[in-house]
This record gives sequence, C-alpha cells and structure tokens, in this order.
Amino acid sequence: MDELTFRRTLYADPHTKNVDVMMQARQDPKKLAFWGELKTLDNDIALALRVDVPENLAQKLLLRQSINIESKERARKPWYWAMAATVALAAVLSFALITPSMDSLSYDALVHVSHSDIEVNKHGPLDMQTVNAKLANYNGTMTDGLGDILSANFCYLDEIKSLHLIVKGRQGLMSLFVLPKEGTAPVDKSFSNKKYIGLSFLLESTRVIVVGENESEIQSFSQRAKNTLSFSA
Amino acid sequence: MGCRQFCSTLDCTAHLTINNLLMPRNICEDDSVLSNMKTKQLKYEALVKAYHADVFRYAVWLIKDRAIAEDVVQETFLRAWKSLDSLQDDAAAKAWLITILRRENARRFERKTFDTVDIDDVSVADQKQESGSMVEKRDLRVAIEKLSDEYREPLVMQVMMGFSGDEIAEQLGLNKNTVMTRLFRARSQLKELMTTNSPVEVKASG
Repeated sequence: MDELTFRRTLYADPHTKNVDVMMQARQDPKKLAFWGELKTLDNDIALALRVDVPENLAQKLLLRQSINIESKERARKPWYWAMAATVALAAVLSFALITPSMDSLSYDALVHVSHSDIEVNKHGPLDMQTVNAKLANYNGTMTDGLGDILSANFCYLDEIKSLHLIVKGRQGLMSLFVLPKEGTAPVDKSFSNKKYIGLSFLLESTRVIVVGENESEIQSFSQRAKNTLSFSA
Repeated sequence: MGCRQFCSTLDCTAHLTINNLLMPRNICEDDSVLSNMKTKQLKYEALVKAYHADVFRYAVWLIKDRAIAEDVVQETFLRAWKSLDSLQDDAAAKAWLITILRRENARRFERKTFDTVDIDDVSVADQKQESGSMVEKRDLRVAIEKLSDEYREPLVMQVMMGFSGDEIAEQLGLNKNTVMTRLFRARSQLKELMTTNSPVEVKASG
C-alpha cells in the first residue's frame, strides 16, 4: 500500500479495520500520528453534527399514529365500533366525551386539540416565517395579529392533511386547522363537546376550523383568523 | 380463544385500547388478528423509541430546517407504520427508516408548492452547546453545512448514523468506490479548512 492509498483509506474511514493500514501505522510513527489526527477530526465532526431533539418527539409520533389509525378504523367500522372507539379514545386522552354523531372532521379536530399540551413548542412562539412556510402548502399567508403561535404541525383530519396551529389564548390554548376544501366531507359550521367549541368557515378555497374552550374567545379568535389569513386560488 | 385484555395501562395506544377494552365479545375480530395488531404496535413503538432521535437528527442535516424536518419525520414514521410488515430484518430498521425519510423528503419537491425557508438563515446544529471553547466546533459545523450535498450526506450517514460504505452506497444508489471517494474528499476539505483557518468555501469537484 503506497502513501496515497494509505491516506485515502483513512480519510474515507478513520475507523477502518483494513489490515494493511494497521500494519503500516504500526511500522511508521508518522503514519500512526496521522491516523490519530483523523480520529480526532472525526470525533470533532461527530460533536459538530449534534442536534437537539425536540422534547416529547417520540410521544408525539406515537400519539399522532394512534389518532391516525383510530380515525381510519372509525371510518371503516360500523356505528357501534365508532362509538366504542370514541369512548376509548376519550378515556385515553382524558378529555370530555365527544358526541358520536359529530362529522369526522370535527371529531378529529377535537381529538387533536385534546393533546395540544404535548404539541406546543416549549421554547416560545414560532416566527412568522416558519408558519408561512407551512401555510404555503395551502397557498396561504398570515400576517401578525393572530397571537403567539406555539406550534405549527401537520396532522390528519379524516385522512386529510391539515396544518394545526396552536395559539396562546387568554384562557387556554386555541387551535386553528387549515385544510383544503376540495376532497373534504361537509363540516358543521359549529360543533362542541363538553369542553371545546369549534367553528368552521371557508376562506377562498380553504377550510378553516378554529377550536377553543371559551365561547366569546373563540368568536374573537375566529375574527382574528379571518383578518390575518389569506389564501390565493 | 376469546378476546383478552392485552394491557391496562395508558401507555398502550388508543387503538389497542379500543380493540381490547371495549369491543364486546360477539363483535370482536378474530383473536389472531388482534394478536398481530398488538405485535405490530409493539414493534412500531420500539422502532419509534429506538430511532426517532437519530432519524430526526439526520433529517435536520438533510433538510436544514428543524420545523420541516419534524414534519418529514412524522410522515416517515406514519409511512413506516403502513409498511411495517415489509420490515423483515430488525437489524436493518435504521437504514429502512432513512430510506423512507429520503423518499418522503424527495416527495416535498414533487409537489406544486412546498415548504421551505432560506437555509442561509438557518443553522442546523445545536447553538446552545456553544461556549468559548466551542469556537472550533462552530467553525467545523459551518464548514460541514457548506460542504456540497454529495459530500455532506455520506459523511453524516457514516459519522452520525454509523452506516458502512456498503450501506451508504445502497442508500444513495452509488457504487462503494464513489462513496469512499466522496468521504475522502469531504474529510480532506474539512481538515484543510480547519488547519488553514481559511474562509469557508467548499465546492464539489466530482
């Protein structure tokens, strides 16, 4: 093995088990030192590549998957299965019982809202650039004024990909869902369970659903959403 | 064999709880189906717990935006759930997830519009870890960020994910020699930058 091949082999993999490389390094202190330099560089690269993982990421992934499956199962099964699923999910997520006759989108919106605490960004509000980057998927833009946005995650309502914004309200967390009008089943203009109130409306070709705990606050939140959100066709 | 309660903890997912706790016996599906579902669910939970952090870290370096990376990781794991039966070899799980992740990321670019932000404003790594003694690490991080994608991606796969040359070659659809050449060039460029402390200017050269 010539000098160039020795170096190339180590540059490509400082942790190589190549026997020729090991023998050459054993016989030549300079080569051994070079190998040591590359191992140090690799340790530095590993440190430089470190990335913080969001808190509760595993929990979020598991929860979203379970809600997604539950939603699909409910769509496939007869009414008694759907009712059983409703009760079970309510028990698991510790929120008030949902009216089983509710349409699927409203139902799924309330399910997602019930785990908002897990979703919120612990490091404070998101910047508008991040939110608008996600809204671009729906040809939407938002200006300041809705409130502190604590989370902007995609989720599935009745198997339709939607953007779920969680906003800090005066009395708890408010939720806003954005989803395309096309392909979605009809949604009640207002819906509720024992804990949450939801409103649904159209902005251009986009459906918006807002959910909160306080009736007067949800009305003003809805108005702010109409003032700050805009969608192009 | 009749239906049984598989678990009684809230740690179990909603779906299993629904199936196991509330379904009356006369409408319960076949026991073997439930057993398969439970096995699949446990396998999925193990997959999420074992690999979510590595997959997220890899996504951040691939996408260069934490928020988008989290979205793509979510899509990746949802896709993994749907295809879980195709994962026959548990030892290959990490590579399998990265394959799904890269595919999901590519799908973003197939859409008419996709979410993106100006990557020049985004530093992918953890800023909070910086201190006076970390200046060199910061320089190295900047240098890695500015490596061309074709050099950075195999390097991240090797150093962060622990993939072998063969595994990287398979992921990237390249032959192993090309992968090893790219790894050689990536490290030699980084070493040169860190030695000369010259302004970071890294270009691909094949």
